[in-house]
Amino acid sequence: MSAILEVRDLRTQFDTLDGVVRAVDGVSFDLARGETLGIVGESGCGKSVTALSILRLIPPETGRIAAGSSIRFEGEELTGLSEQEMKRLRGHRISMIFQEPMTSLNPVLTVGTQIAENVTRHLGLPKKAALARAVEMLDLVRIADPGRRVYEYPHQLSGGMRQRVMIAMALSCDPQVLIADEPTTALDVTVQAQILDLMLELKEKTGTAIVLITHDLGVVAETTQRVVVMYAGRKVEEAPVEALFDNPLHPYTRGLMRAIPRLDVEADAAGTRPRLQEIPGLVPLLTRPIIGCAFAARCELATDRCRTTPPPFVDAGGGHIVACWEAKP
Amino acid sequence: MTAYIVRRLFATLPVMAVVALFVFFLLRFAPGDPAAIIAGDDATAESIAAVRAKLGLDRPVVEQFLLWLWGLMQGDMGVSIFSNLPVTRLIAQRLEPTVALTLSTLFVALALAIPAGVLAAWKARKLVDRIVMGFAVLGFAMPVFVLAYILVYIFAVLPMRTDWWPLPGLPVQGYRPIAEGLWPFVESLILPSVALGITYMALIARITRASMLEVLQQDYIRTANAKGLATDRVLLLHALKNAAVPIVTVIGIGIALLISGVVITETVFNIPGLGRLTVDAVLKRDYPIVQGLILVFAAAKVLVNLLIDISYAFLDPRIRY
Repeated sequence: MSAILEVRDLRTQFDTLDGVVRAVDGVSFDLARGETLGIVGESGCGKSVTALSILRLIPPETGRIAAGSSIRFEGEELTGLSEQEMKRLRGHRISMIFQEPMTSLNPVLTVGTQIAENVTRHLGLPKKAALARAVEMLDLVRIADPGRRVYEYPHQLSGGMRQRVMIAMALSCDPQVLIADEPTTALDVTVQAQILDLMLELKEKTGTAIVLITHDLGVVAETTQRVVVMYAGRKVEEAPVEALFDNPLHPYTRGLMRAIPRLDVEADAAGTRPRLQEIPGLVPLLTRPIIGCAFAARCELATDRCRTTPPPFVDAGGGHIVACWEAKP
Repeated sequence: MTAYIVRRLFATLPVMAVVALFVFFLLRFAPGDPAAIIAGDDATAESIAAVRAKLGLDRPVVEQFLLWLWGLMQGDMGVSIFSNLPVTRLIAQRLEPTVALTLSTLFVALALAIPAGVLAAWKARKLVDRIVMGFAVLGFAMPVFVLAYILVYIFAVLPMRTDWWPLPGLPVQGYRPIAEGLWPFVESLILPSVALGITYMALIARITRASMLEVLQQDYIRTANAKGLATDRVLLLHALKNAAVPIVTVIGIGIALLISGVVITETVFNIPGLGRLTVDAVLKRDYPIVQGLILVFAAAKVLVNLLIDISYAFLDPRIRY
């Protein structure tokens, strides 16, 4: 299957008072047509910046995608496109859903207007037809009484409904790629499951490929086919989802797995469960260039080589790759 | 909404009553005596007392107040001490130039200041922003009468006195009613509007920029950009509508600025409006005219505030009355 999105050596940097922050530092991955790819990592690892970089939404006053980065969508290089050409792509062929449904919708415009303007902009439908499309989309994301809801404002909807509206908006022009940045983080657990199921179901219907960005390994396990694990702006591991959970190779991925609470581990005679293990240490400062492996300072396996030379990717077979000197595939 | 408007209109009555009370007694406490002015410089104490009795100024102040209030309730603002004409008629005669000047100033100010503020916020910290904000600081710091005389110098004195001056002359004296044709009317309002509006414009441009800057940081603006919407739609619909409430508030507050500015502007440009009437009446201590004018200004301000409050509900659906 050919990749619809190919990201190569993406480097996104921000100017801050403390110096240049290398938020994304040489990340590469492919997204196949109709695939669901998870990008996981903790806060500040560059997941969201990766997503914003793909749509070229990095605020130009403070940040930039460094030269040499490549983002190809259906074979077309996005880093070289003009802002006008990008505007035609955004919301039409690549769309995005954000984390906070509470603040991501415009409070003074009806949800119908916000969906319809997308349709008018990209598909050229007249207002009336665009509004009809908005009703259709609300129905598709299973909002009851969509004919009335299109005339409502975001504050009249619950958090879950707002995220459904965001999804309806993002899918209104049948995009080939949907980037979902922590789409369920701000929602109740039961609503989370509904939203994820809805996204997967709509993906089946429309064939849209999804990049799902999350810090929640549970979400990854349930919804994605392949996973990219990021740490400190770099990709450290990439694998099909089963392979990653069965056999995590990078010490960081293993650390993440050990930090997941489990219900299937029996309590001992005294009624205590094994303590969850945190990863010792802190994420490195991104204002300084990281020599060697970014995780070396927190890694129990780290050697001198790890601290001086960045590890190459090792192929463990079956599309499972890991950037670690010490990993034994 | 209708109930709210009716309630607010009723609420203006006590406000106007308080204004009436204050304006009446403050004027009586102020130094100066209209009877002495009428009687002339070489008047005797007896002739002044006679004039005072004729005008009813010798009666107890409370009685005078109640008489005036009784008249007001019947739509009678009293009679000018000097010209003996009804105050309502004097005000009606002078209303048109002032309304025309205020509305044209409002129009010019909004048409220039809001786009300038939006532009400055969009291009924040860039050259355009610095130019706009530079003008705003200058405009805010410049007293109306200083600017007015500078304008008179540039557009009337220099074009007349020199032949190298490139700018055209503009009328700086008087007012041409709209009945005399559109262009003379507009022409006579250009300089007074600029002089009157500059502070107002500066205020609106600054608040527009500040409010827009805050809104442009919001998540929903990022969403709008992620939809690939055209920049003008993002700025003028998604951002400006959210930024509108503080802007409209300042527009309303600024009406008071315009009312006080009208007095000075009409004096400089010799426009026979309410502002000139106010100045003349104050100088002559023509109590009924001053009282009537202040009531009219207060009512205008109260009504503008009501309009502003109503506009909030249209700008932000979360505001309901």
